[in-house]
Amino acid sequence: MKKPRRLLNSILFLLLFIVIGLPFVPLVLSSVSFGWQWPNVLPESFSFRVWEYVLAGSSGTWSAVGVSLLIAFIVTAVNILLAVPAANALVRYSLRGKWLIEAIVFAPIIIPPFVAVMGIHLTFLRLGLTETIFGVVLAHISPTLPYMVRAIMISYNTLSVDWENQARMLGAGPISRFAHVVLPHLLPGIAAGASLSVLISLSQYLITFIIGSGQVVTLPILLFPFISGGDPAVASAYSLLYAGIAIMALVGMDIALKKYYQNKKIATGKG
Amino acid sequence: MSDLRIINIEKQYPQTQQKSEPAFSLQPVRLTIKQGEFFSLLGPSGCGKTTLLKLVAGLLPADNGEIWVGDDNLTAVAPEDRRFAMVFQQSLLFPHMTVEDNVAFGLKMQKISKKQRLADAHGMLEHVGLGGYGSRFPDELSGGQQQRVALARALVANPRVLLMDEPFSALDPSLREEMRELLSRIQKEFRVTVLFVTHDREEAFYLSDRIGVMSEGTLLQVGKAKKLYEQPVSAKVALFLGLKNIIKGTVADGRFSSSDQNFEFLVEDTIQTGPCLLILRPEALQPVTKAAALHPDSIQVSGVIQQMRFNHGFYSVKVKVGSNKLDCSIASQQAEEMVPGQKIDLLVKLKDIWLIVE
Repeated sequence: MKKPRRLLNSILFLLLFIVIGLPFVPLVLSSVSFGWQWPNVLPESFSFRVWEYVLAGSSGTWSAVGVSLLIAFIVTAVNILLAVPAANALVRYSLRGKWLIEAIVFAPIIIPPFVAVMGIHLTFLRLGLTETIFGVVLAHISPTLPYMVRAIMISYNTLSVDWENQARMLGAGPISRFAHVVLPHLLPGIAAGASLSVLISLSQYLITFIIGSGQVVTLPILLFPFISGGDPAVASAYSLLYAGIAIMALVGMDIALKKYYQNKKIATGKG
Repeated sequence: MSDLRIINIEKQYPQTQQKSEPAFSLQPVRLTIKQGEFFSLLGPSGCGKTTLLKLVAGLLPADNGEIWVGDDNLTAVAPEDRRFAMVFQQSLLFPHMTVEDNVAFGLKMQKISKKQRLADAHGMLEHVGLGGYGSRFPDELSGGQQQRVALARALVANPRVLLMDEPFSALDPSLREEMRELLSRIQKEFRVTVLFVTHDREEAFYLSDRIGVMSEGTLLQVGKAKKLYEQPVSAKVALFLGLKNIIKGTVADGRFSSSDQNFEFLVEDTIQTGPCLLILRPEALQPVTKAAALHPDSIQVSGVIQQMRFNHGFYSVKVKVGSNKLDCSIASQQAEEMVPGQKIDLLVKLKDIWLIVE
């Protein structure tokens, strides 16, 4: 029984590596190549000029990374503040036309963001919100909020009202109930939603481009011109940098969450 | 004294989606539970006992009526400010907190210093027999231990009233008995007022000072266990307490006679003339022994044994008397000579007979 399973596991792992890991190999090669032309399988010569350009201050890479992360984290924070009460209402209350509200909240998952952004752009022009980080943050909320609401709704679905009733009977007011009972239960859902929100915000090109009008420079904005006809070597380097930041953001949040639970265990274990 | 007074509390649920079943409603309940009393609400599931408990707790808004403790009207007070405690069917221990933090939670909400509340929590855990378990997490405890923690958590803040909603029904029978004893001991020790909801009559009889029997949203009868059992006010109460020997008949000219004429005896004049139900407790029906002469204050009937079942320590014997089947509890020694199909003479003392006017 065990042997076929191990074989299956290794086959799956290999497939996963081919699908996810392999594409990175030419990216790495391309980023350190110096003139890589058909029909060569490997680059003829190697150089680090692309990395020197990308990592140097003059290219604006680091400020783009900063802006990208800043936008992603503000968007996520706003999403959490909006999604927790929204999920609470959508799960706990039965109201007429609830399906309509849900449809509107989840619409950005199905409708291409471009459609909404055209309208948003006009409004933002009138309000003077284009070309500002604040405007981009607002525009990023529409494609990210549905995922956050979805994740927290699932957490709320598994939280029976009995828990809050029990806390109530022990004398906990609304704020204490939320802090001591509801929030600890929602935390895994919030973490899942936050990871998605950060990743989706980081990967936005079109919305950032239209609303930011090229003035708000995030990593995808820098990356795009190089992919569409510029220097493929630079594009490769930016792609790798982008992937690295996305992975780091995810891993960082995961570690933070684990640390939170560990601290909680240690703190209560000793106390 | 700070008695718990429930004054005409009432609740009507809105009509459900399926129009066929009528909407549930709790008829006005008027009840006073004395300080330090153990009061049980006994009834089948769906009879409204949990609804009544939640109304007392304030977790459900009442349509009408008031809740008082002593001289305080708590009707409009939020549940968290009533200083009641509640133990639910599930232990509902907060999974991210240790056992002692769980127990201390109520004190934390009252802003009692950490040192003091942990000391109190330890003391209460000792009382429920979980002295060394404070630093464990709830998922490391068994079901019975979790329910003990829940009990400790409810009692630690010295509540005015302890509400319990079938707290032991999820436990296995031997554990349930153990918890019963523990609860009984602790309740007497702390003199806490308890309102206990259960569908288990043994549990209610073991624990309670007084019992209220409920059915279909109505409180049918309130009284001590012995009184309820020996003198139920209606056939419903009798049936729910396990009294199945209910014989239809009429009272006329100071005599009761059953519809099949098998039971006939004189009754006191206080009993109204008209249709009546005769309730015979299974242990009041005893076989006539040769030695015992016919007692003047008793009636005798004869029937045929239909079925015998051994039932811890005694036999449950079904006897067909006329058109009625009667359940009798007969001691093992006497029952050993009996076989199904045999004729048997049964004797009931008049003082063990109970009549309900229909």
